[in-house]
Amino acid sequence: MTKCASCHQVMKDATGPALMNLEERGKWADHNEILKWATNPAAYMAKDPYTQGLKAKYGSMMSSQELTLKDVDAIVSYINQVVADSKKPAAATEGEAQPTANNAIIFGVISLILAVVALILMQVNSNLKKMSDDAEGIYRPDPVPFYKNKIYIAMVALVFFAMAGYFFSKAAIGFGRQKDYQPVQPIFYSHKVHAGINQVNCLYCHGGAWDSKHASIPSVNVCMNCHKAINEYKKGPKLYTEDGDLVDGTAEIAKLYAAAGFDPQKPNSWDAAKAKPIEWVKIHNLPDHVYFNHSQHIRAGKVQCQTCHGEITAMDEVKQVSELSMGWCVNCHRQTNVDFNYDSTGGNKFYSIYEKFHNDFKNGKMDSIKVKDIGGLECQKCHY
Amino acid sequence: MKKLLIIAGIISTAITVTSCGGVRRDPGRAYMPDMSYSRAYETYASTQALKDANINYNAKPVDGTIARGDMFPYTLKNDSTGYAQSATVTNPLDTATIDKTEAERLYLINCGICHGTKLDGNGPLWKGGDGPFPAAPRNFVGDAVMLKMPEGTMFHSVTYGKNTMGSYASQLSTKQRWMVISYIKAKQAKVAPAAPAADTTAKAKP
Repeated sequence: MTKCASCHQVMKDATGPALMNLEERGKWADHNEILKWATNPAAYMAKDPYTQGLKAKYGSMMSSQELTLKDVDAIVSYINQVVADSKKPAAATEGEAQPTANNAIIFGVISLILAVVALILMQVNSNLKKMSDDAEGIYRPDPVPFYKNKIYIAMVALVFFAMAGYFFSKAAIGFGRQKDYQPVQPIFYSHKVHAGINQVNCLYCHGGAWDSKHASIPSVNVCMNCHKAINEYKKGPKLYTEDGDLVDGTAEIAKLYAAAGFDPQKPNSWDAAKAKPIEWVKIHNLPDHVYFNHSQHIRAGKVQCQTCHGEITAMDEVKQVSELSMGWCVNCHRQTNVDFNYDSTGGNKFYSIYEKFHNDFKNGKMDSIKVKDIGGLECQKCHY
Repeated sequence: MKKLLIIAGIISTAITVTSCGGVRRDPGRAYMPDMSYSRAYETYASTQALKDANINYNAKPVDGTIARGDMFPYTLKNDSTGYAQSATVTNPLDTATIDKTEAERLYLINCGICHGTKLDGNGPLWKGGDGPFPAAPRNFVGDAVMLKMPEGTMFHSVTYGKNTMGSYASQLSTKQRWMVISYIKAKQAKVAPAAPAADTTAKAKP
């Protein structure tokens, strides 16, 4: 297993040919021949046209393996076992459709019913009162209808202005902000599957975040580092879009192959130079008049990606979690402690120029140094 | 009549309240679009306008360009001759002065995903065969082939890719690639004596 699996798979071609039905291919039925081939491929190939053809097809030659005849027997029986297993009918794994009960509608209907009931009760109450008044012979003037009642009108007007003002100012503040923005991407790329389940480091793809202003979107060849081999999605959970539609992961990988110009049938003839960029939709947009630098925050400031981007590892479709407003930036700069390397045994040397703070820190005059103390609130730090 | 009006009002309010929510698919508007959206070319912006104006633009660096602070580029070609020659290439970095924590960080981000944090070829993408990756990654510390593989050959494979592994030349600079190689070699040196034992156990189970 450990020897063969680097290059061979049972059910499909990888670096080398698939191993299923090995014994049906000509002389491989004789395990002694397999042993001769596997232990010394170069010598065997010299007098065997079949293996020469394999080298032409796969472009590389098998390296010699230290095996015994017993090992070969065991390997072949293992392969046959896997093939037999795969032919068994797969257990029905179709899950039920995800129940997407819309709570908001239920609550709306309930409150509507309650409101109607309250209205009827109020009417009944006033009718009963009128009847009891009539029975006791008390004279009352006809009640003023509620839509002419000045107190009611004043209250409704007040509520109306308060609500209108609230929504108006909220809309005005939200102008130019994109919290919860969750666009449809050209390929359904699930961060949950990649960064969550498969634990790919954020910086594997977004390596620019460590070195530059931009977190950088990976080019197609970075995707293909893994997807040259991973050409189907079958081991993870079922994927749904935010609108509740089922996603076929294998079809999404095929979209990547289309952009990369990669043919899974002929993996060795792929030319990375012919790949076309995928036009991902940018989610986190800062206005042009704001400067933000990723490396400054994650490398010098040691801020985790999730602090601003939220639980990316749980998101199928990424959404903007933070407000990215100025108040949000400034608030964090007011509250966040700077990791001062005041004892010079380690930590970040970047801050060594703040001599006064280092001294105050040592003397106990300050118990913590915030980002605002080292200029985190200066206008020109971000707007220039 | 008046009851009808009230009920209609309540229904319309309920509809307005419930219709808010759902997925936000549009980014909204900005106060001053010319201050929000850059007039200059930003990273990842389309360069189609330049092409339309007949201005030649090529995002690729000129052949032979060396980034500031990087090392002299690797010159061997990506073919079988280059692969064979790579065995004689040695690490140009002084292994004693390499920033070991940085080398480890680079390994864990870029290699550990397949080859494992313990270099045992069992990263989260393989997980003993349960992960999504179809081919077993090489075991750096338990595989005799990897233990005696020259560092130049390793560097060659990292630069151009080998079998199902892709090229890491776009993610790691020449210097960073050598740092990772020296990290792997240092780890291998620690386990080298135990290697033959690990090899026989690997052979026992096919």
